[in-house]
Amino acid sequence: MARFLQYLFDGVGNGSVYALLALGLVIIYRGTGHLNFAHGEMALLCTYVILQIHQWGLPVGLALPLGMVFGFGLGAVTEVALVRPIGKKSPFAVFIVTIALFTGLNWLCGAIWGSVALPTAAPGKAVSYPKLWEVGDRFVRIGGATWRYKYITLLAVVLVLAVLLWLLFSYTRLGLAMRAVASNAGSAELVGIKTSRVLMISWGLAVAIGALGGFMIAGLVNQVNLTLMLTPFLYASAAATLGGFDSPGGAVFAGLFLGVVESMVSQYQPTWVGNEMKQAVALLIILVVLLVRPSGLFGTSKVERV
Amino acid sequence: MAVQPMQIREGSPQHWVLRGLGTVLVVGGLLLVATKASDGFISDVTQALILAVAAMSLNLVLGYTGMISIGHSAFFGIGAYTSAICVSRYHWNPWLTFVAGFVVAFVIGMVVSLPALRIKGIYLALVTLSLALVFPAFIKWKRLEWFTGGTAGLQKTTFNPKMRRFEILGHDFFGNLRSVGGKTVFYYWIAVVLAVVGYVICRGIVKSRVGRSLVAIRDNETAAAVMGVPLARTRALVFGVSAGVCSLGGAWTALFLGNIRPADTGVMALEGAITFLIIMVIGGAGHLWGPIVGAFAYVMVSSSMSDWDNDSKIPGLLRPFLAWSKVPPATGVFAVALVVLMFVAPFGLVGLWNRMARRLVAIVPTPAGSAAPTVAEELPGPFEPTDTTTPEGDE
Amino acid sequence: MSDPLLTVTGLRAGYGPVQVLDDIHLEVNEGEVVVILGANGAGKTTTMRAVSGTIPRRGSIVFRGQDITSVGPEVIVRAGIALVPQGRGTFPELSVEDNLRAGAYTRRDNIAADITRWFDVFPRLAERRQQKAGQMSGGEQQMLAIARALMSRPKLLLCDEPSLGLAPLITKELFRHLEDLNREEGLSILLVEQNANLAIHMADRVYLLETGRVVGSGTGATLQNDESVRKAYLGF
Repeated sequence: MARFLQYLFDGVGNGSVYALLALGLVIIYRGTGHLNFAHGEMALLCTYVILQIHQWGLPVGLALPLGMVFGFGLGAVTEVALVRPIGKKSPFAVFIVTIALFTGLNWLCGAIWGSVALPTAAPGKAVSYPKLWEVGDRFVRIGGATWRYKYITLLAVVLVLAVLLWLLFSYTRLGLAMRAVASNAGSAELVGIKTSRVLMISWGLAVAIGALGGFMIAGLVNQVNLTLMLTPFLYASAAATLGGFDSPGGAVFAGLFLGVVESMVSQYQPTWVGNEMKQAVALLIILVVLLVRPSGLFGTSKVERV
Repeated sequence: MAVQPMQIREGSPQHWVLRGLGTVLVVGGLLLVATKASDGFISDVTQALILAVAAMSLNLVLGYTGMISIGHSAFFGIGAYTSAICVSRYHWNPWLTFVAGFVVAFVIGMVVSLPALRIKGIYLALVTLSLALVFPAFIKWKRLEWFTGGTAGLQKTTFNPKMRRFEILGHDFFGNLRSVGGKTVFYYWIAVVLAVVGYVICRGIVKSRVGRSLVAIRDNETAAAVMGVPLARTRALVFGVSAGVCSLGGAWTALFLGNIRPADTGVMALEGAITFLIIMVIGGAGHLWGPIVGAFAYVMVSSSMSDWDNDSKIPGLLRPFLAWSKVPPATGVFAVALVVLMFVAPFGLVGLWNRMARRLVAIVPTPAGSAAPTVAEELPGPFEPTDTTTPEGDE
Repeated sequence: MSDPLLTVTGLRAGYGPVQVLDDIHLEVNEGEVVVILGANGAGKTTTMRAVSGTIPRRGSIVFRGQDITSVGPEVIVRAGIALVPQGRGTFPELSVEDNLRAGAYTRRDNIAADITRWFDVFPRLAERRQQKAGQMSGGEQQMLAIARALMSRPKLLLCDEPSLGLAPLITKELFRHLEDLNREEGLSILLVEQNANLAIHMADRVYLLETGRVVGSGTGATLQNDESVRKAYLGF
């Protein structure tokens, strides 16, 4: 039992990050019908920016919101300057652009902050990340398992954010507009919603949330490197697939769930799965979901827009 | 100033002269490189040829069929590891391992593409993305260490020196062609042969009835199905062949390196898949010569910039713009190039070239491709908006 | 006589390189029901789209003295024109109530009273207020689309083929609603309708459209008695 709880607590920690990234993927997909392959690397850039701001002397409590604002701008600019004009040509071209952003942003991080970039060579050196929470390595003990404060904080942040987003979607004009655009963009225009602005805000919001996710995973492992976001991005897309690409609630649930699955299979089966084959589990989940229930657990069956 | 293009009838003597000219240029260039160029330059060309093979295979899937794959690095790796395991553990003749790698990759490619019968667009991209991420983990897997060599890798995965001779009727074929550095030129010629084989396979598929149906599927799935194109079978088959062609490059890599470790082979990981994609798009997706031109552009640019992390190596004119970068700027340059291409020329370099060449020389009436890129009229690539004018002379 | 509510002169519009509308002239006066008749492809729907601002257009569209030729749809909605698009165009994933809220997106005042009011007019919507729009029947969705358009408090309602795909009985009910709105609220309506017999009855005036041009117009009664019009559009 103690082992089970321990793995559960560990898994919820990573799962929180997957949930945050998956949320961003879903918000973008609902709005524009594109899968943002650069989402992880956008979050990575924001994470470096947060680190940089912190190193310039601002406290983390200030650097984080500034980094999220930066992320908002990054997402919004991407949508307005790249995705919208190119999306008019072909969805394929948007895919290429997100791939270009993926490798370009990764390179940019390496170019500014050092280390070797994709695709010429291997993962780079790590930069030590500032202590995020003053809690250090303290923990509570529940049923023989230790639950670190930072995991608890993470989970709390994700849950609070999920509630905030739910409030945003359900009770605000902006949220209503976002849902309307996702549901039927043509009609949204007819009722007087400026769809272009809504899409820009969606991308901005998604990347801002991604920035929070990047910051958190960097805090968990106490470092930033160029490959930091690869696995989380894969898990986040698996979570988005599992939850249904148009369901934010599903994304949060699936993200947490996948974190727990990852932790359980890799720790209960250290030799069969272990650290190496964790990613294969994500692949398997994506495959099974796509074959059995392409709309995901919580999604509506209106998928496959590309 | 609208100049009427010179009209050349397809299959006419003039057409054959053009084709012949193109062939002579290509063959002559290849011979010239092998005999006159420095070892370093030959290595660059060799690398370009191998990357071209991989990008050609991706082009077959993405450029012509519209199936998105970011997982071709895995097929490259499958080729490499099949070859390495056969040579290192079972002491096969290395030449045979190209065939073995092709077969293994073909089968795995078919299996991977099976979900693609139901999955489209970004979902297939997701599946292949995870394939790209899983493959490097898979070869490091402890449970398979006895087979794949795990993180330590495999040693002696190459020709023994005696086998580098390739005799035809008692005549040492490579010996005669080898004139600069023995090993470099040997592997150069293999790369040339692989590129030709890859090109011929791709061209054969693209120009066949199957190839036409591929483009039909890409452009309009429902219409293709109604017209009686067996969608599922065609797709799976093409994906398999594509994986097989890609594996050839991998097998070459294993034999060339002589030992193989998961850590030092980036082409087998996600960055490889992205490299293939960049090459294909820059050269021109949906154009037969696209990957080849793209690969040369890619290798030339990245090798000339490879030491630019040292600021003093950057040409003076560019130094103020690039000196801030702590790593060579090639990747950033390609990323920007990709975005710019999507805006101004989604058909890539070869598409651009075709457009310009067509103003000077027009081949009438039916397309049949030719060895010379100047006259290779082709179907529109996948990134081109449907409402632009398609090249005249098609069909 | 005062200026018309809507004046369209020399309207041209289309999709990309294809020009559908050649030279459209039409007017809608305050309190009128105006019907546009025409064969498939004549440009009826394109006219509606052009007036509501969702496609690029040239010429001149003046509404209540304001030139709306080159402004976006959100400005046109604010100015007082609401379109009920062909095929209803509800938000299928949103609840009935949220659909109505979205309809009032341009308004910043209290909308609760309006929601209650349209629930009174369309009691079937009130029963399903929490249900997702996509799960309702075609007739209910059409009512919802109209109620949603009315939430912006328009002066002019554009209705694009509201009877499409509906059973005759439902269509009748729908047209009764539209007539009531016109009579009791003084709402002006510009209506495109395949079911010419039904539409011409409630029409004050009718325009006939052919390949992007207005080829005839008149009061509903005159056209009903015109031999050639009857043959071409009314089928008897």
